[in-house]
Amino acid sequence: MIDNFNRFVVPNLGLLGEGLWITIWICAVAFAMAVVIGAFACIVRVYVPFLRIVAVIYIEFARATPILVQLLWVNYVWPELFGFPKSVEWAGVIALAIQSSGYLAETFRSGIEGLSRGQVEAGLAVGMPRTTIFRRIIVPQVLLVMAPSIVNQLAVIVKASTLVSVIAIPDLMYDALKIVNQWFEPIEVLTFVAAIYVTTIYTLSASAKFIADRFRVKYGLSTYA
Amino acid sequence: MSETLRQSLDLSLFWEFRYTLLAGLAQNLYVFACAAVLALALALIVGLARLSANRAVRAVSTVYAELFRNTPEFVLIIWVYYVLPILLSRMLATKFNMSPFLAAVLALGVAYSGFLSETVRAGVQSIPRGHSEAGLSLGMTRFQILRRIIIPQAVRRMLPEALSQFVSLFKATSIVSLIAVPDIMYQVSMINVDQMRPLPLYTGAALLFCLVIIAATQLIQILSDRWRKRGWA
Repeated sequence: MIDNFNRFVVPNLGLLGEGLWITIWICAVAFAMAVVIGAFACIVRVYVPFLRIVAVIYIEFARATPILVQLLWVNYVWPELFGFPKSVEWAGVIALAIQSSGYLAETFRSGIEGLSRGQVEAGLAVGMPRTTIFRRIIVPQVLLVMAPSIVNQLAVIVKASTLVSVIAIPDLMYDALKIVNQWFEPIEVLTFVAAIYVTTIYTLSASAKFIADRFRVKYGLSTYA
Repeated sequence: MSETLRQSLDLSLFWEFRYTLLAGLAQNLYVFACAAVLALALALIVGLARLSANRAVRAVSTVYAELFRNTPEFVLIIWVYYVLPILLSRMLATKFNMSPFLAAVLALGVAYSGFLSETVRAGVQSIPRGHSEAGLSLGMTRFQILRRIIIPQAVRRMLPEALSQFVSLFKATSIVSLIAVPDIMYQVSMINVDQMRPLPLYTGAALLFCLVIIAATQLIQILSDRWRKRGWA
């Protein structure tokens, strides 16, 4: 086993490193996009009554469709329908962002709806405009309360990103499968790569839990299960 | 643009292959049902083990839950399909064959047992200690207390969370196509290779999943709400 590890994993560490790098930037870009789109969808859903139905349909579609299906859909259908994305990398990023934006929109919404009405009324009573109330009272509290869930969503993205190998993005999983198909010696490579993923995702979800515990002690928040 | 739009909304191709696609969807449901039973059984054991008084049992079950909660399902499926049969063959010194279906059920069952064990633990923990103490003072055995006092209450509290786990599990069954279980996404890919028309096929698949999941969640929520309200939760 050590022999095989030296033969199949060690010489390929460079390749696996490149794959890991692609995984990292795809997850980072997808996460950033998901936060922006999710916040937008949430704002539309909560504050724009006549577009509410559009936001609801988008969020429900994003949440109820498996990531693999979205990935293949964006990869095969979007280029013909909309003329983009031009590369598989962007197809992967967009699919991951769609999926997570749905979840994040619901997270933000439950944060907004969890705030007591008195807070907004207090703002109105001291003569704050609606936008100032949103910016200075609602947003900071929602971000604080939902910080653990938002970090947790990053862990979910890393998990789902293993599937982008299916549309031939050379991420960590893709490189691992490539090595496996070259030598037909799956044990060491796959176990090694699985260990990398588990460590990364565990670190993320454990820090989400850590943040939640800290905030609970510090600010008395307890919304995170 | 309008031509491609029309083509993608024209789901007649999807309709043409309805029997193949329905067979695929049935395969999804079959994998889902088997994996759900496995996941529930394991989750109950692990969830209760995490509350055990024995420190070693607690440690092992915590590692189990954390390990499988944090492993990507795709990595787990590939690992179970490629690596596990080789390891088992070496250990048992016999040829061991893993069918794609078995690998899919094992991997998904184990993965979701990690999530569900958290739900079970939280549900059981939410029942006040006084309830089991009351049972003890009446002379009930530990097992009787579990079966007649804790589980009926805990299950009702766990239900909404467990439901969303099962929705995730059903969504995850779409990835079994990648190890050639003939599920719906596998059929869609095969038809696509044959017909070269990805637009209606993949759009149809996305819409189908969306409809099935939203309909199922709504239905179960309505049915389970009525059941949950009856009783003590």
